[in-house]
Amino acid sequence: MGDLGKGYKLVFLGDQGVGKTSIITCFMYGKFDTSYQATIGIDFLSKTTRYEDRTFRLQLWDTAGQERFKSLVPSYIRDSSVAVIVYDVASKQSFINTSKWIEEVRAERGSYVIIVLVGNKTDLVNKRQVSIEEGENKAREFGALFMETSAKAGFNIKPLFCKITSALQGNEAVSWTKQEDLVDVNLKPLMFSSQANHQQESNCSC
Amino acid sequence: MSRKRTENGSESGPATSHVPVDRFGFLKQEHANSPERFSKSKTTSSTDHDREERKVRKWRKMIGVGGSDWKHYVRRKPNVVRRRIRKGIPDCLRGLVWQLISGSRDLLLMNPGVYEQLVIYETSASELDIIRDISRTFPSHVFFQKRHGPGQRSLYNVLKAYSVYDRDVGYVQGMGFIAGLLLLYMSEEDAFWLLVALLKGAVHAPMEGLYHAGLPLVQQYLFQLESLVKELIPKLGEHFTQEMINPSMYASQWFITVFSYSFPFPLALRIWDVFLSEGVKIVFKVGLALLKYCQDELVKLPFEKLIHALKTFPEDAMNPDTLLPLAYSIKVSKRLEELTLEYQKTNAKPVQP
Repeated sequence: MGDLGKGYKLVFLGDQGVGKTSIITCFMYGKFDTSYQATIGIDFLSKTTRYEDRTFRLQLWDTAGQERFKSLVPSYIRDSSVAVIVYDVASKQSFINTSKWIEEVRAERGSYVIIVLVGNKTDLVNKRQVSIEEGENKAREFGALFMETSAKAGFNIKPLFCKITSALQGNEAVSWTKQEDLVDVNLKPLMFSSQANHQQESNCSC
Repeated sequence: MSRKRTENGSESGPATSHVPVDRFGFLKQEHANSPERFSKSKTTSSTDHDREERKVRKWRKMIGVGGSDWKHYVRRKPNVVRRRIRKGIPDCLRGLVWQLISGSRDLLLMNPGVYEQLVIYETSASELDIIRDISRTFPSHVFFQKRHGPGQRSLYNVLKAYSVYDRDVGYVQGMGFIAGLLLLYMSEEDAFWLLVALLKGAVHAPMEGLYHAGLPLVQQYLFQLESLVKELIPKLGEHFTQEMINPSMYASQWFITVFSYSFPFPLALRIWDVFLSEGVKIVFKVGLALLKYCQDELVKLPFEKLIHALKTFPEDAMNPDTLLPLAYSIKVSKRLEELTLEYQKTNAKPVQP
């Protein structure tokens, strides 16, 4: 990887429409896109990020969430460093289904993978069906990291990736973390940057 | 957003709103799908216009009123038909011709009232999944933009009807882009029967295997494509192997949506003209032509840049008049048959007692 730093493969899993692509778009380009197409098959993006004076090259693999596409996924899980399993806090079913996704990851990678359970769409306050506690408990049960986010509001997106890079560096035990321990670095709506490059750099200021 | 039927039974595109759109109805700033990027000048010359008029007249004569002469003409002059389709069906006749060449018109006539029954009286287990994807299907097209608008409603109806018609397949992400493309050229009911014709194989091999559990046909096509790349573009095939690039990383969308997902719309339409008339081999031909056309650049790229390049081909490579002649020159039929047998032998599942 040269001076680009060590490369890590992150695979994003979870049901259809939970916000996998939106989380990635928000992290990559600092914007929430209201008119994006459903992911078909597999998409790939990469980004260099800095954490504690170290440079990390993150390869982000975005997958189609529908059950039928699961046959395309195993080969992507196989050599991934991190599995980010996303559910929608306003959809109980998507939360229940995370167990299947986690089992799939464990079957392919055993314990050689960092699993991050992410509850997205926290902006849907009145539609919430999954509490923070439920999310934390499931993460603890499966030995995963946990965080809630809102790609739409730009909430906890940077901290999520800081948490991941921290875990990759070995600074953070791969265990659950309470939501109140997390800091939101951007509660305001995100700026829509049109100059964002698909290989831009970002500084995680956690 | 009303759409009028043309005299030939197809529908004209959606009425444009105040938003600047290209001639196909895509928002102008979404230039990835804009046809204007391929025209040398923004204004069509009178020569081009005359040529187009002559082309339309030829096609009208060939198909007859409402398609009455089509079968007769195809039997008499199959090579002329094939050549004309490859040159591109006139846009104003596209909807009707697609129905004629796919066999969907016959299905519609044989099944009166069936579509209405499926839409109105049946319920589908896939309804929530369909709803979740409706606004994420061609979001930059005016017809599908309005929440709960006629475009989204038609798309929902077609997908719901199919998920009831074939409960084994149900609804699979990717179908929406095919149904959406069809709805820009025909009515709901016509689009539904064309979807049935494609998936059930009215004229060519059935496509439904693309959407069955495990995506068996996608897996087969990816295997075939990988073999063809190694055989026909060996330098690139070798580079893909070195960089650990496999076809599922870039080509699943090609097969699942027949290039309607992310390709420039004018190119997608021209591919669909041929796809409906000649079958899935055009998907392989176009894919291989693209890789062949860009191989000198692709072989220089490392993994990350390579994947990015395989998702965003340069404009000149996406020009239908450049790409399609190259695609037609690539012969794959015989080899595809051999690779199908090879794949089936390797992946034969033991029959359950």
